[in-house]
Amino acid sequence: MAVLDRRGAKPAPRSAQRTWLWGALLALPTAWMVAFFVFSMAIVVLLSFGRTTNDGFPAFATSTANYRALWNDVYLELFWRSLLYALATVAISVLIAYPVAYAVALHGGRYKNALIAAIVVPFFASYLIRMYAWKALLSDDGLVNSGLRGSGLSDGVTFLNTPWAVIGGLVYGFVVFMILPIYASLERLDVSLIEAGKDLYHGPVRTFFSVTLPATRAGLYGGVLLVFLPALGDFVSAQLLGGASTFMMGNLVQQQFTEGQNWPLGSALTVAMMAALTVLMVAYLRATSTQAQEP
Amino acid sequence: MTLPGCAYIRDDAPVDTPLPPSAKAEIDGDLVYFNWADYLAPRVVKGFQEEYGVKVIESNYDSMEGMYAKLAAGNQYDIVFPIAKWVVKLRREGKLRSIDPAQLQNADQVFYSGSYFNQPWYDAGSAVSVPFTVYKTGVGWRTDKVSTMTGSWQDLWNDEARGHIFTLDDQDEALAMAALLLGYDVNTAKASELEEMKKLLISQKGLLRAYSSDDINNMVGGDAWVHHMWSGDFLYLQQGLADDPASFDFEAPSEGTPINSDAYVIPANAQHPGTAMVFIDYLLRPENAIKNMNYLYYPFPVRDALPAFADLAKDVPACNVEISDLENENVFRLLGTDEVQRRAAMWTEVKAS
Amino acid sequence: MARARRLERKPMFAVVVTAVFFAWLYLPILAVALFSLNDKKSLSTFSGFSLRWYDDLVHNDALIDSLLASLKIATVATVGSLVLGTMLALGLERVRSRRGRVIGAVTLLPLVTPEIVTGVAALLLFTGVGLKLSMTTVILAEITFSIAYVTVIVRGRLAGVSLEVEEAARDLGCTPFQALRLVILPTLVPALVGAGLLVFALVFDDFVLAFFTTGVDPQPLPVRVYSSIRFGVSPAINAIGTLMLIGSALLIVAALVLPRLFGRGTSSLDLITGGQK
Repeated sequence: MAVLDRRGAKPAPRSAQRTWLWGALLALPTAWMVAFFVFSMAIVVLLSFGRTTNDGFPAFATSTANYRALWNDVYLELFWRSLLYALATVAISVLIAYPVAYAVALHGGRYKNALIAAIVVPFFASYLIRMYAWKALLSDDGLVNSGLRGSGLSDGVTFLNTPWAVIGGLVYGFVVFMILPIYASLERLDVSLIEAGKDLYHGPVRTFFSVTLPATRAGLYGGVLLVFLPALGDFVSAQLLGGASTFMMGNLVQQQFTEGQNWPLGSALTVAMMAALTVLMVAYLRATSTQAQEP
Repeated sequence: MTLPGCAYIRDDAPVDTPLPPSAKAEIDGDLVYFNWADYLAPRVVKGFQEEYGVKVIESNYDSMEGMYAKLAAGNQYDIVFPIAKWVVKLRREGKLRSIDPAQLQNADQVFYSGSYFNQPWYDAGSAVSVPFTVYKTGVGWRTDKVSTMTGSWQDLWNDEARGHIFTLDDQDEALAMAALLLGYDVNTAKASELEEMKKLLISQKGLLRAYSSDDINNMVGGDAWVHHMWSGDFLYLQQGLADDPASFDFEAPSEGTPINSDAYVIPANAQHPGTAMVFIDYLLRPENAIKNMNYLYYPFPVRDALPAFADLAKDVPACNVEISDLENENVFRLLGTDEVQRRAAMWTEVKAS
Repeated sequence: MARARRLERKPMFAVVVTAVFFAWLYLPILAVALFSLNDKKSLSTFSGFSLRWYDDLVHNDALIDSLLASLKIATVATVGSLVLGTMLALGLERVRSRRGRVIGAVTLLPLVTPEIVTGVAALLLFTGVGLKLSMTTVILAEITFSIAYVTVIVRGRLAGVSLEVEEAARDLGCTPFQALRLVILPTLVPALVGAGLLVFALVFDDFVLAFFTTGVDPQPLPVRVYSSIRFGVSPAINAIGTLMLIGSALLIVAALVLPRLFGRGTSSLDLITGGQK
């Protein structure tokens, strides 16, 4: 996306910077973000040191019990599992996004915009109802399995309640956030580069890795960030499509705010999750921005 | 409004407020309704709106804890449908107002002489609640796929159904099932007993397909051959959905089954308690209870509607909840915070491992 | 300088993947639409055509109320986030101080924060100040979450607006405010339209944030759908799902068509994706 690719921006000339107006414009939204976002995160952090009263309501305190409870083999395993699912989601999304974006951007011609619209429309129309439809379609006696049995291809496959179902749900929900940035990068690519690459490298695969991929890496990096982080904290996919051993971090947090009746523990989990995400994000941005410095 | 966070500065002092008196049963505004999704027949609700000229504004919760959190946050609902133990909790905290049966024309449908509900375990003297529905939890299975059912909770470990077994994604229900198998109290929070129950539940995971409360869809979609199930859901599955009812059956295990009931309550801060009273009265009319039963397949303890339910459930006697069932000890009782958190921690470990 | 957009050989692999992708994408949608016309409750076998679920939907006041609530919330949230997001984009683009960069980073945080975190945080905040949960709290939370999308899109467009044009306006005697109103904002309109439609669609379909912040007012449709899905079979859901899909499709078509009114070659997709020609 454009904001990630600031190389072409000129520095603002002084006269435009002499700006009470622009500073004033910043004031209201900043106040809003502080009031709602910053404060709410602050309360989460504060409550993570809290306790639960006898009538089940959360209260501030000064206890580190919640953080000590986090250091638990089971929770750590959950973290690794969530990480694994999120990485799988990113990998599959990339494998889908590049061919699709490539086909639409460079071969869509007149229908490019319609094709992109056709991709975007479903994604912004009730994720939940589409998940519900998948449950019905993929169940052991659902349409897909009936089709497989009827055509003799297979005896029936167990799709639902497996890790692949959860990952599939995650991909289904987030792949558009990978397609759009890569599509944008491809759109701005000078096609003659690819043509030149083909002459130079004598093969589509090598051309892809040597020319196309590096040239569109801004889009790729943006997409990875937009898919990996939300997928890591997702709970809906595991809850609707998951099995006995597909519990994710997001489910754990949700559990504490509902059945577990332990908002302080849930807050501590949230803080830990955000800390982990921030570390991952910063490391990722460092690693990718040094590459972006290259001309 | 206060400074951010003020609401989290609290102490443990118990609340001691007198019970607000019952409202009269007369319309005083639109009804703000808070319930599980799809828990009343839409046409019954619509009939109420048309007959009394008021709107019913509906909100849904997907857990009792979620319901409680919204109430505690100060939301003003006119009528709520908590599970029995939550009636105890809400009353204890002074969050309910009294419901005077004398105000309800159809009160004798549930509060007739000799009725259990005059003195239910969760509401002494039936001061704050009117019974809504009752149900038990058992095991549903596919007769055409599984033939080795024994009538015990052990059936949820049935090897013939390996990979097609589901346990309810509900802390109280799952723990109760394990407790009953081991001979413990369903409300136990003793560390040693919880440890045993945890091992038992984890031993199921190799055979288990998932923890899910979507029992009807799991069974009808063919994913489930054996499902930890609520009695009403089973009846709906078999009578209302299945192409071949004979391929499903239900059992109430011999070690004991949890019995639960839902009730109508009116929160103390309700803005239109009068309308709520009229609504309860309306739902107690036998013809409306029958419509609701045909929609939900759960029994409503409305005297003149009970024969209709007996008819619905005639092929599956295990789904029937007798009045005598209501007096057994397998009911979910209110527990202290420490106990709840011990149980919750155990359940989380089971689900996450 | 015309760029050749056509390559000589069609890459079969990419085309095949795209075709399979579209099939995968649309399969549940077709299923939803098909079963909304089923005459039995079953979601596995289609037995005949019937409009009974649409009839049920019309009689189900709660679902209609939810639909209206969702529309209201999405509209207000879109307006609010457009205003705040544009202000933010303008301010960040022109104020090049360290403070500006910090603010910029903070405002992008909601984009990469898992929704459950923002939902929980919003719930804790509202409950903590004693603010009653209601449609207002949902709107406040949704605006907070959507500002980032508007900011990114508008900044993408702003980066292309030549500073010299603004400088010229100033030289001709405009105050900064007039330059903003008469020069910059008009060029931003296509970006605003694109961002507005995107935010509307996201907020309308949002469930996690709404789940944590609804009160006694009619709840947004996705929250209602989630409650229904967790516990039961409700074929009326298919009916409303089909209607929502058609509504979204019309919205996106509008998103494609409207910006063309502002000049050929401009498409809001370019704006969303940041491409500039």
